[in-house]
Amino acid sequence: MNRVQNTKLVLWLMTGFAAAIALNRYVFGLGVTTNLNDKTPWGFWIGFDVMAGVALAAGGFVTTAIFYIMKREEFHPLVRPAVLTAFLGYLAVVAGLLVDLGLPWNIWHMIIYWNPHSPLFEVGWCVMLYTTVLLLEFSPVPLEESSRYARVRNFLMRFRFPLVLLGIMLSTLHQSSLGTLFLIMPYRLFPLWYSHILPIQFFISAVALGLMMVAFESLISHWLYRREPETPLVGKLCGAAVWVLAVYFIVKMTDIVAAGKFGLIFNGNWQSDLFIVEILVSTLIPMALFAVPKLRRNSKVQWVGSSMVVIGMVLNRIDVGGLAMLDSTASYTPSWMEIAISLGIVSAAALAFLFVTERFHIWEIRPEDPQSLPHTPPSFDYSSRTWLGVPRIASLTKHTLAFVLSFAVGMAFMPGRKLHAEGIDSVTVSRATGIDTLCIDGNRDDQFVEFPHQAHISWIRTHKIPTSPADDTSGFALAGKDSCSVCHHLNLPGERLSECWECHASMYAQADFFRHDWHASPAGAKLKCDDCHTAGVTRTAQSAKKCTACHPFYKFTTIGVGATPAYHILSYTDAMHKMCVSCHVVEAKVVKDKQDLALCTTCHRVGTPPNLRAGMKWDISVPHFDNVVLPDVGLSVK
Amino acid sequence: MGALLDFARGPLFRLTFAIMVLGLARLLFLDIIGMYRAYRRTTDKKMPWKLIFSRSFEWFFPVKRVIRERHVYSLLSIVFHIGLIIVPLFFFAHVNLWKEAVGISWPALPYSWAFWLTICTIASALFLLISRLTVKAMRALSLGRDYLWLLLLLVPFVTGFICANVDVGPGSYQVLMLVHVLSAELIFVLIPFSKIAHCVLAPLSQVVCALAWKFPPETDDDICTTLNKKGAPV
Repeated sequence: MNRVQNTKLVLWLMTGFAAAIALNRYVFGLGVTTNLNDKTPWGFWIGFDVMAGVALAAGGFVTTAIFYIMKREEFHPLVRPAVLTAFLGYLAVVAGLLVDLGLPWNIWHMIIYWNPHSPLFEVGWCVMLYTTVLLLEFSPVPLEESSRYARVRNFLMRFRFPLVLLGIMLSTLHQSSLGTLFLIMPYRLFPLWYSHILPIQFFISAVALGLMMVAFESLISHWLYRREPETPLVGKLCGAAVWVLAVYFIVKMTDIVAAGKFGLIFNGNWQSDLFIVEILVSTLIPMALFAVPKLRRNSKVQWVGSSMVVIGMVLNRIDVGGLAMLDSTASYTPSWMEIAISLGIVSAAALAFLFVTERFHIWEIRPEDPQSLPHTPPSFDYSSRTWLGVPRIASLTKHTLAFVLSFAVGMAFMPGRKLHAEGIDSVTVSRATGIDTLCIDGNRDDQFVEFPHQAHISWIRTHKIPTSPADDTSGFALAGKDSCSVCHHLNLPGERLSECWECHASMYAQADFFRHDWHASPAGAKLKCDDCHTAGVTRTAQSAKKCTACHPFYKFTTIGVGATPAYHILSYTDAMHKMCVSCHVVEAKVVKDKQDLALCTTCHRVGTPPNLRAGMKWDISVPHFDNVVLPDVGLSVK
Repeated sequence: MGALLDFARGPLFRLTFAIMVLGLARLLFLDIIGMYRAYRRTTDKKMPWKLIFSRSFEWFFPVKRVIRERHVYSLLSIVFHIGLIIVPLFFFAHVNLWKEAVGISWPALPYSWAFWLTICTIASALFLLISRLTVKAMRALSLGRDYLWLLLLLVPFVTGFICANVDVGPGSYQVLMLVHVLSAELIFVLIPFSKIAHCVLAPLSQVVCALAWKFPPETDDDICTTLNKKGAPV
């Protein structure tokens, strides 16, 4: 089995799948691809891509500090892979951020429009500068391939030490400021994770994670290329990690005990269980394993311990970033598309890592892809039985095909229903309540309109409404026998009167009321194309018959009709406003004692509708709104 | 039936269309990479650009062929290619589908143009099929897949033409539309893995041809060694 080739194949598949979803994210927006909402605008992407990504890349500054500042020469083989990991890690963070930002093209604003009070401003600047520093730190490696760039390389090498110092300084700044971001939400983050010293905890854990990430990456790349693992060196990293993890554990526990939150750990709810798992996986078990010198020099234990720290610390960042929010404030689980994009970004970074290690002088001995060794037999394509070329070309052929196919599968998996939502979430309308006095509250948010139905009927029956000649088709002139059709302008099959919510089914978005496919379906109206469209002319809405040709009893009032493209009707809100207000405005001028007829408060009410309130035991006096979360304390019980 | 049609128009279309577009881009990419590698290996770096351009031009605007040799065949082949490209891209209903799904649109063909162009395409395809079957030289050169391709390309055109112009009942309309969509999707999937890939590779074919005649140095010796005739003149 060829480990490198198969791993690359899987990585290409995941990258292709994620690329398809990223395309849809950019074409159709965040709403199609994520479960994020106004209450939880930060989710998996921030927790995993950005916060965990930055922490995973901490190996860069930790290793350079050990090698250049502490002068531990034996760690030299780890420096280049660590800096490369850090560089690719930061590029992945930037890629993840560009997916997560609502308006990614505005990312440069931070450079010009300064907001020095925001921790995010500091994080943004640090990430930007540190990525540049990492680029300069790493670029001598590819530049040494050719003597043509010797002068550039020498110039960069002269500034190596200042660059390393700058890199460490910037990392120290923003690894902690990522924790600072969450100091703003003491009432949202679960108390076990919230702490005033969150920045310090973030920094210490980043150091531990950085050490373990370098160890993990050394282990995995040596396993991939079937090389002798650097066990003694990794053992030394594990020994150092014990101390850092111990400091992290003591700081964290002291803080929790001092704040009086210790009891919460054994509370029994899922957050406390999550916390116990996180602490065990990220800190306690690896610490216990690596504390024994004999165990930490064992390669298998190194595998277990380092991967536990990596998984545990990433879990910690995801917890803080959104998972461990209080239940009352957030309802968010990441969608599969968010996870797929994150995995795709990681896969792309891993592919870049493998590419660079094979291409440039990252390790003392450059790794050979086993397939390109002279004794391997040539590989043939299964279907066409042709030689696929030298191994590099053959793998390129296979991997690009894998990318294309998984991209296509990703496209197929996109939720088609959401693709057509056109940006506005469809809020389903509920029918009005009440018998005579209707309470119109489409989205049930306790802001309703009082509508005296009987009064309107008697008013229409007795009034001839002044209409301009253009309004003559409105049906108002028919007041009397057909007066119902003034408002109920569309009768349903079976000559049933229509209610507003039946067609205007969406609160804020326009809806299709014609249902073309239903009319043309054998299960629906069974119409042939030419039954409505004229033969020999391009079939459009304009060239088709009018609805009234088949439905003679439809009364299209001019109110609202014609304001939207063909087959689309107004949203519930717009339809109601157009229907009521346009008449009220006229009446307010005509009728002497009804000047306030066109004011909002004439119809709009807030609270529980009176017809419902009569039967209710509790009266909730504080209105709640869709987009604003009010604290629980405001509810008064009568 | 309606659900099947929705599936064919939705997820299946996205799947197959993505395979076609990216698959063709991949072929182009691999072609260019291969050309670059071949060019780097050669010692003779001079490329006959003038010849390449003139030959490519001749293939893209085969006026000479029409005038000099096989007039009818060449002319109908050109008509077939034009219809094959223009009708699916600029047919009104197709443009409308893109507009509704993604929000981008482009000018569509007038109804009568689409009507006649489709008829011309179908007729020329039939002619090409018949000539493949009857002319002796062409039959000798044809493989089974060449006939199959012509038939497969005909299916969406015929069904689409019926759907657009003939007043069939809604039941048969749905069946025809399903066949139309599914056959087009089959074509989409097959394009990057078959000879139809020439739709993007054609502009490069003359360059590839020119590069193929540039053998790496000492190739002749290698060939002789492989044939066990070392030292023989080539």
